[in-house]
Amino acid sequence: MATQLPVIDYEKIKKVHDAPLEEFYTSGHRTCQGCESAMVMRDFAKASGPRTVVTGATGCMYVANTSYLTTPWIVPWMHTQLGAGGASAVGMAAGLRALMRKGRIKKEKINVINFSGDLGAGDMGLSGVSGALQTDYDLLIILYDNESAANTDIQATGLTTYGAQTTFTPPGSKHRIMQRRWKKNVAAMLAVGHPTCRYVATASATFPALDFMNKTRKALSIGGPTFIHTFDPCPKGWDFHPRYAHELGELGVKSGIFPLYEIIDGQVVYTYDARQKGRIPVREYLEKQGRFAHLVDEDVDYIQSMVDTMWNEWDIPGVAPFKAGLSVAG
Amino acid sequence: MIKRVEVNYRGVFQKNLGKYIGGDIVQIASRMGKVAFSNGRYSDAPERNGIPCKYFAFVSPDLSEEELEAECGAKLDIDEADVSVVVDDAMVKGVEPWGWHGVRAINEKVREKGCLLVTSQHSHDQLLKFIPKRPFSWRLATVDSPASLAGLWVYKDDLTREHVLGAIAAADPGIISIEAVEAYLLEKTKEKHRAEAARAAYDATLRTIRVVKPNEGAEWHHEIPRLPTWKEFESGGVVVPAVPRGFKMGPRGQNRNEQFLRGTTKSQRPVIRFDLCIKCTLCWYDCPDECFDPTDDGLFDVNYEACVGCHKCADVCPVPECIVMVDELKFDSDASPWEHHKKDPEGYIKWAEEKKGLERLHFPHVTGLGREIRQGKYVPPKQDKSGAGAAPKA
Amino acid sequence: MATVAERTNVWAKEVLLNGCQAVAQGVKLANVDVIAAYPIRPYTEVMDALSKLIADGEFDSEYIVADSEHSQFEIVKHASSVGARAFGGSSGTGWMYGFEALVVTATDRLPPLFVVGNRALDDPGAFGVEHNDALALRDMGWLLCWASTAQEALEHVLIGYRIAEDSRVLMPMALAMDGAFLTHSQHMIKVPTQEAVNKFLPPFNLGKRVLHPDNPVSIAPQVNEDWVMELRRQNWEAARRARQVIPEVYKSFNDLFGPRYANPFFDEFMCEDAEVVLVGLGAVKMPAQTAVRRMREQGKKVGYVNLRWFRPFPTEQLRETLGRMKGVGVIDRNFAHGSPDNGGIVVQDIRSALYPLTKRPVVTDFIGGLGGRDMSIQDCIRMLEITFDAASGKQGDELVTWIGLRE
Repeated sequence: MATQLPVIDYEKIKKVHDAPLEEFYTSGHRTCQGCESAMVMRDFAKASGPRTVVTGATGCMYVANTSYLTTPWIVPWMHTQLGAGGASAVGMAAGLRALMRKGRIKKEKINVINFSGDLGAGDMGLSGVSGALQTDYDLLIILYDNESAANTDIQATGLTTYGAQTTFTPPGSKHRIMQRRWKKNVAAMLAVGHPTCRYVATASATFPALDFMNKTRKALSIGGPTFIHTFDPCPKGWDFHPRYAHELGELGVKSGIFPLYEIIDGQVVYTYDARQKGRIPVREYLEKQGRFAHLVDEDVDYIQSMVDTMWNEWDIPGVAPFKAGLSVAG
Repeated sequence: MIKRVEVNYRGVFQKNLGKYIGGDIVQIASRMGKVAFSNGRYSDAPERNGIPCKYFAFVSPDLSEEELEAECGAKLDIDEADVSVVVDDAMVKGVEPWGWHGVRAINEKVREKGCLLVTSQHSHDQLLKFIPKRPFSWRLATVDSPASLAGLWVYKDDLTREHVLGAIAAADPGIISIEAVEAYLLEKTKEKHRAEAARAAYDATLRTIRVVKPNEGAEWHHEIPRLPTWKEFESGGVVVPAVPRGFKMGPRGQNRNEQFLRGTTKSQRPVIRFDLCIKCTLCWYDCPDECFDPTDDGLFDVNYEACVGCHKCADVCPVPECIVMVDELKFDSDASPWEHHKKDPEGYIKWAEEKKGLERLHFPHVTGLGREIRQGKYVPPKQDKSGAGAAPKA
Repeated sequence: MATVAERTNVWAKEVLLNGCQAVAQGVKLANVDVIAAYPIRPYTEVMDALSKLIADGEFDSEYIVADSEHSQFEIVKHASSVGARAFGGSSGTGWMYGFEALVVTATDRLPPLFVVGNRALDDPGAFGVEHNDALALRDMGWLLCWASTAQEALEHVLIGYRIAEDSRVLMPMALAMDGAFLTHSQHMIKVPTQEAVNKFLPPFNLGKRVLHPDNPVSIAPQVNEDWVMELRRQNWEAARRARQVIPEVYKSFNDLFGPRYANPFFDEFMCEDAEVVLVGLGAVKMPAQTAVRRMREQGKKVGYVNLRWFRPFPTEQLRETLGRMKGVGVIDRNFAHGSPDNGGIVVQDIRSALYPLTKRPVVTDFIGGLGGRDMSIQDCIRMLEITFDAASGKQGDELVTWIGLRE
């Protein structure tokens, strides 16, 4: 029984030459050379435009951007606490709705956006994000995922790849793998858990071009609370030369290790269907990062097997780790 | 007597190197019977790739630990340096570690008769084109090697650390002696070649160290920003004005955060062959620092004040030799390259190719695993196809 | 003094309300725009009452059930940042869960109002009154005051917003009220008319600090050692200015609603010729004032100071009032383990305020009523007697007495 995808009325950017030129997040921030999370900031601000209010939770994109009383933000922006991303979005949206209803400010569409990092939206702030996705406010929460607590100089989080070196998970003579946890599947978890949330997506500012900007616009247009989880290669934490930030973004997607998809009113739409397009071996992705330099074949094989399972055995490949086909006893 | 050493290094790329050098100085000095301690500059943290950072070491032959700490400890920055080490020579153009700090001279802290010790393959004269003059004499020494860059996890063991230790011993034996350096390296690593590397650098430094006369060096034009008093931002306080909205086509058409453009983060800058450009937009599109200004002819100008030298544009550009990263020390101006190209397209190509040369610095994916010089290619000028490319919409 | 009958144009009705419900009436009259709720005894009923008012169409506000106190307080803070009048509340360990958000609300110079239903801190869990939850804010740049009756609680929602939102102040407001004794006890409450409240409380206007697309600002960028001291100084200054703004606001309140508050900062009960007084916060006023009456009948010159405002601390005024006394007994319904002289929190501020006087009363401390234990009239009489002893040098070195402890 085929269901129709809802038509989302948004201003799609069809090709790179149509990308808006004006910046709403501009030069003059203290991010690392080659920072893909900065690309996420730049792209969502550009896609959202001037009628926007933003909160940024504590993390790299707070400290590195608005560092030491200076700011690269052109749109109004406010800091929020590390675990308060979801709550801050709700607070802004509720405040604006009340003020508009009571006639104290002009009625108009104001995009309400919060960005939070691994810890902010995936660990500490998960309850606040969950609460936000249950409301009926128009808002967008962006989890920018650089797979570490990057601002504190790279520690493991619930979103760190298996085996990665961080200051909390250094390979040692006794234990080679200290980071034994498998990455949390945040976007899908949130989609499953919040049936009235109309739009959940994963995205990359790197690849394919314009994908993240268009997903931002869809999320801001569809109505209600929305969530996007971006994949941000991090030259500092992952240990690669900044030059290759784009390449690593592509490899992460094409190896299938970071599935790209949208869930629109409960329907999964693959942005990059690794089943059809094939997957390059994860080794080609892992070997280009110093944080995996200590891995041996056994580790790479394990990661490959988990990625294979994700795409070959999950009921909704790359998305939901459920395997059907269990017969009910009796 | 107190000896103060600072190590100017590139954030993240040289974090471990800076810490090792600082730590080695303390350990070597301790073995010599002196007291010593070291620390980073707190406001540098969290470090970002390429941002200029500092590490400090303090040594005394005659004070107690307590007295040395009282003089030099619990301080955010160094007062003055007997030796100021610079492990990436691009930093001699000036360093701006954070907003409101201003672009500072690399030799700002070098005291009279102190030594600025730079790892560089450039000559002293070339470096002095950028290093500002002081009213007293000081000394300049170089360790003949390129900047040693690595990542947080994979260290680049290219003997820069050993060379620097040997050179410090030559620049100021009152800090550490070369014999103590050699003994330390041998005992710690059991590898003779490390001690030998230190000795070689020591000898070379003694031979080549040069006294810089008073008022010899470059003019310095950067001012230190005045920080406002608490009453001056009373009505704002924790609220500051955003960057004003403003965009038009052309060089510097996009409003930027004037308080902290941080161009001093770069060690290389992109040189663009506008004549080869196919106007795919990817350089502009993929720049995390919003350095490109779209122009009416579909080309993209580079704002070098804002460029942090990440190399991404060079990597994503689909046209060979169109964007090439070039040593920052070859440039003494941040003027718009596109304006140069528009005014004099042939002259610009000559200028660009002269800057590029034929050597291309190449880094492997994992920075600490190597560094090579590859051969580039000279692509002869193409005709300017103005009007042929799709002009971007504002 | 005008009677209720003469002021019918400001008082709409008299109804039976408990402390929580009285606060809810205040929030409604303040035309709050955003409320974030999260349950914890004993303040929860404030939020129950508000949701019913909204459901019945008596009051228009956004009402969000938060996932935790931290989220709850952050929702309030960010609603405030976009220019909405916002309200939240909590008690005890819940207040502590969201404490980070409370600290930041003050350093962001945002003026929402929170009710604190004073409750003992965990562990172990205990529902009864204790003041440590609200007192934990005392250094953080908050306005902090205690209601001692439900009527006062209602009125201080209005007074609180007016002071907090004043552009000379811009500090968040914590309105504390004793759990159980105030939150759950029902009294006849005079509810003001909306018209009168509108005259007293102007709409909330954040001016150039508001987060809105028409006002491009960055709020709370990261700072380093170059900036923190100046920011702290600004907040410090605001707290000082609040001391001037508070009497102005009370005068305005008294002019509209009748002379209810002779002194904004504290009430003096029989203090004019007193030699010995007790000082306390909150509902202990009731047994304490009864004790004072009884001892006055025996000819003892005693009085009671009901301290309303704890931050900003009314140093000058307290110095003047307490400086006249021979003995001051401070009732600390809180703990401060390991503190100077092992006293509670309030006594330390009072001793500190009195220190510059050349002629000072003896100050003695009483720790009592923790976790909801009664402080009876008899207890208060005993406290007055001990204070008398202290004033005549008969107490000895121990400057703190635990009241009502099973020893």
